[in-house]
Amino acid sequence: MTTLFYDHLIIIKDLDKKIKKYTSSNDEMQELWFYVEELIHHRVLDCCLGNLPQKHHHEFLEMFHNHPHDTGLLGYLNEKIGKDVEKLIKAEMKKLSNELK
Amino acid sequence: MQKTANSNFRDLLKLKSIETKLHFEKKYPHVHKYFLEKGLELGKLRQHSAKLISAGALTGTLLLSPPTGAGQLPTSTEIVRDISELGNKEGHELPQKELIESLKVMLPSEVRPLARDEEKRLEQMIKDVTSIPAKAALEGEHLNTSYGYIGAEQHLKRYPGDILENHGPYYKEGMAPGLGAWGYFSRSKADLTLNLIENEKWYAVVQTLYLSDWSERQPYLKNWYKYRKVMIVNTKNGNAVVAAIADSGPAAFTGKHFGGSPEVMEYLGGARYKKGAVLLFFVDDPENTIKLGPVKYNKINNYDHTIL
Repeated sequence: MTTLFYDHLIIIKDLDKKIKKYTSSNDEMQELWFYVEELIHHRVLDCCLGNLPQKHHHEFLEMFHNHPHDTGLLGYLNEKIGKDVEKLIKAEMKKLSNELK
Repeated sequence: MQKTANSNFRDLLKLKSIETKLHFEKKYPHVHKYFLEKGLELGKLRQHSAKLISAGALTGTLLLSPPTGAGQLPTSTEIVRDISELGNKEGHELPQKELIESLKVMLPSEVRPLARDEEKRLEQMIKDVTSIPAKAALEGEHLNTSYGYIGAEQHLKRYPGDILENHGPYYKEGMAPGLGAWGYFSRSKADLTLNLIENEKWYAVVQTLYLSDWSERQPYLKNWYKYRKVMIVNTKNGNAVVAAIADSGPAAFTGKHFGGSPEVMEYLGGARYKKGAVLLFFVDDPENTIKLGPVKYNKINNYDHTIL
């Protein structure tokens, strides 16, 4: 699934429980969710762009901007990077998850 | 003490978010420039994507396969023919078995937002089998997905001073520490009506916060979604519930798209049901005649496929 091409790779267990514990209103909770969202998107894109040769950056950004939900982007990245980008993103998310514990 | 812990955690997240953003902008100035020119904020990426999806009315692999969208909407004759064919396959089946078998054929193998033609067929089939007029889009409103994972939620405080002991018989999930997105259900215990009790008992959570137009269309959308009736169907066992939307969430990073009250989850999948694939459609009920709670379209309910 799909609102973003990497959605299925960014499940961070237990963080939501922690956020709920530390917030007393829905607005406050959504503010923290927003920070986490920002963190995730920057870290995932850093992971993709850091491994993708710079000559492909513009092409990738165009595709990402027009079709951010398209899981075909994973195939594109795999091909251009020559590594399993899903594994790279999962590892980055695990790292982030540990940092937020 | 608790307040300090709250504020420390909030500060940690905020600081980390700012640091990461600055680091990204410094490391990739050309990317930062590109996003600025396009007017794209990464914090609002999900809303940007939702807007594109709703404009294209579809999902899937656009780069690798041709889009299917409004041009492929089935005609009413096609829908009726498809549903009749499904119904005739096994002769006279129990409605719930018929629903389960139909869903197996009609739903994609992986949970994802559905195309409009897929939703149209499902709406017709659900109405045919359960008699509930369920719609993926109602009065022009549509969630980012109508097919996703639902997760177990806690009870919500209905009025100031409400406690878990008032929410029997399901105590295990506990009471949410904060309030739902629409605050208390009533100002006091004395103001709590039977309808409001039912709204909390059979409540659903949907991701209004990720709607592309949520901020721009206030207060209309907040009022439109408050206690809006939805039909939730467990796609594995066919159990179905009509619920009222009473909170916003869950966060995308949980891997879930909807939430259900302890009562909703118990009915959908039994006592150990914490997460599972469901369809969630609005109920078209302008006369307010459809009650919240289990949809008893079959005398036998099937708990065999409960997902743990």
